[in-house]
Amino acid sequence: MNIKKQFKEGLITNNPVLVQQIGMCATMAITTSLFNGLGMGLSVLIILTCCNVVVSAIRKIIPEEIRLAIFVVVIAGFVTIVDLLLQAFIPALSSALGVFIPLIVVNCIIIGRAEAFCQKNTVGASFFDGIFQGLGYTCVLLIMSIVRELLGKGTFGGGLIDVTEGLRFTLDGSGAGIKIFSGEYGAKILTMPFGGFLTLGVLIAVMQYALKKSARKKELAAKAAKEEKEVEE
Amino acid sequence: MLFNIISISLGAILINNFIFSQFLGCCPFLGCSNKTDTAFGMGVAVIFVMGMASAICWLIDTYILVPLGLAFLETLAFILIIAALVQLVEMFLKKSVPSLYSALGIYLPLITTNCAVLGVVLLNVQNHYNFIESVVYGITGGIGFLLAIVLFASVRERVQFADYPECFEGFPICLVSAALVALAFMGFSGMQIF
Amino acid sequence: MNKVIKLTVVLFLICAIVSAVLGAVNEVTKGPIETQQREKTEKAYKAVLPYADSFTEIDPAAYVAYKSTINKISVADNGAGYVVETTFSGAQGSITMAVGIDSDMRCAGISIIKHSETSGLGEVAASSSERGVSFRKSFIGKDETITVHDIDAITGATITSKAVAGAVANVINAVKALG
Repeated sequence: MNIKKQFKEGLITNNPVLVQQIGMCATMAITTSLFNGLGMGLSVLIILTCCNVVVSAIRKIIPEEIRLAIFVVVIAGFVTIVDLLLQAFIPALSSALGVFIPLIVVNCIIIGRAEAFCQKNTVGASFFDGIFQGLGYTCVLLIMSIVRELLGKGTFGGGLIDVTEGLRFTLDGSGAGIKIFSGEYGAKILTMPFGGFLTLGVLIAVMQYALKKSARKKELAAKAAKEEKEVEE
Repeated sequence: MLFNIISISLGAILINNFIFSQFLGCCPFLGCSNKTDTAFGMGVAVIFVMGMASAICWLIDTYILVPLGLAFLETLAFILIIAALVQLVEMFLKKSVPSLYSALGIYLPLITTNCAVLGVVLLNVQNHYNFIESVVYGITGGIGFLLAIVLFASVRERVQFADYPECFEGFPICLVSAALVALAFMGFSGMQIF
Repeated sequence: MNKVIKLTVVLFLICAIVSAVLGAVNEVTKGPIETQQREKTEKAYKAVLPYADSFTEIDPAAYVAYKSTINKISVADNGAGYVVETTFSGAQGSITMAVGIDSDMRCAGISIIKHSETSGLGEVAASSSERGVSFRKSFIGKDETITVHDIDAITGATITSKAVAGAVANVINAVKALG
């Protein structure tokens, strides 16, 4: 299978959030700091990859009629494992993301990939699909977090980076981030629910603009090539 | 007790609205809000399932999972209960209340993956609500969802006639208008019963 | 009919496998989760009542009149005072807070454990920013007559500030009622 194509699909042309427009609840809810965004993105990436591999491994032995129920059980299993591990070893992330970790179960990305991709493809392809789709999701979360945090609070890397005693990474979510400008001048509204909807809306609009532009370019190029051919003839 | 219930209801409907302040149930919210009447159908179906799910999940959690020390199976158990419940409700309505079934039927299967439903049962556990509080939270959370989706659907019907940049076509303009409705809901955020 | 049985068996088997795996993971993580939570509580308690060493929980029957707002009262074993865990409604939902009360029935410190206040405004009350710290410090030494005017209230988060002040007054009254 062509990994390169899958990579491009996951990150750009078939990005789960920007193009397929699924899994938006968490995208808008938790992207208020880089710490949350990165944590959520990586959690989804891990769960998605594991589920993809398991689903495609058992795809031939599960009966057609109850496949969705089985997918849900497998997904819920992995989500609970990640939830328990986070509670035990990165409690700050667990409390910051709260109910959105168990809610990955109903995140349409995972069940959607299981149904649309893993059912028909080999374990290897599903593994890469999980990684790239997960990366695509993580990238969107990162962009949203960085934009909302920077414009809303004037910091970069909140919770994850601490610069008071030299640059270091904090896994307990205590770092204040790099201060770009004083939080008093930040558009605080961007860190509120309003900002979640608005940022995602604008991000998808930018994506649509870019996709349309590249499609038009291709069209023009094809047209030009065709005309050239006609002239030659 | 009564005070508690009023404060939970007011919180779930207005102040901590499931969609506009907690972001639970955004997928059906954005997907099913093209027309006011579909939005209304979806909202009613959600109230129904959220109330039932809160009650049943509370009972199962309190009397089966917690006493057996199986609290770690909560997420798995809840999602299965919700899926089974939705199926049961669907079959029951089909046989005994066909008129309601024909109105809600198409929305019911969609509700299984509505994160507001799983969200409400998980929040019930997290907030240590008792049985009555859980059911009230479930139902009023559903009412909050209904309010949000109906209001938003009527906004969206107007937006269709608006003149916006081409690249905002479809989802983006929908999200931007949702942002403005969320802004309106922020006005409730200072409300409190003393 | 045979098919139904087969489907049930397959579904049941998969559920059983998943549950078994979860059980195993739970065994591994149970210890660390408990330690984390205990450490967190202890740290929060010591932060609000600095001279305390260890704590003993008081029987809830002793403060039954305050049951709706107070979750837990613990007394410091060395007589430094009490730590009370209280839940009350803030601007955006409930706030859970630990309040230290010294032996003179004055507030020794507060720490917000859980909240859902508006980020950027009410959130400041719980944050580790300079503003949040000075807000919480302004409660130290206050008695049950505390109002929002006695503290360094947060601009733009009047309701949160008021709610926290009211909760501290309520906690001191509850501890006084213990006798």
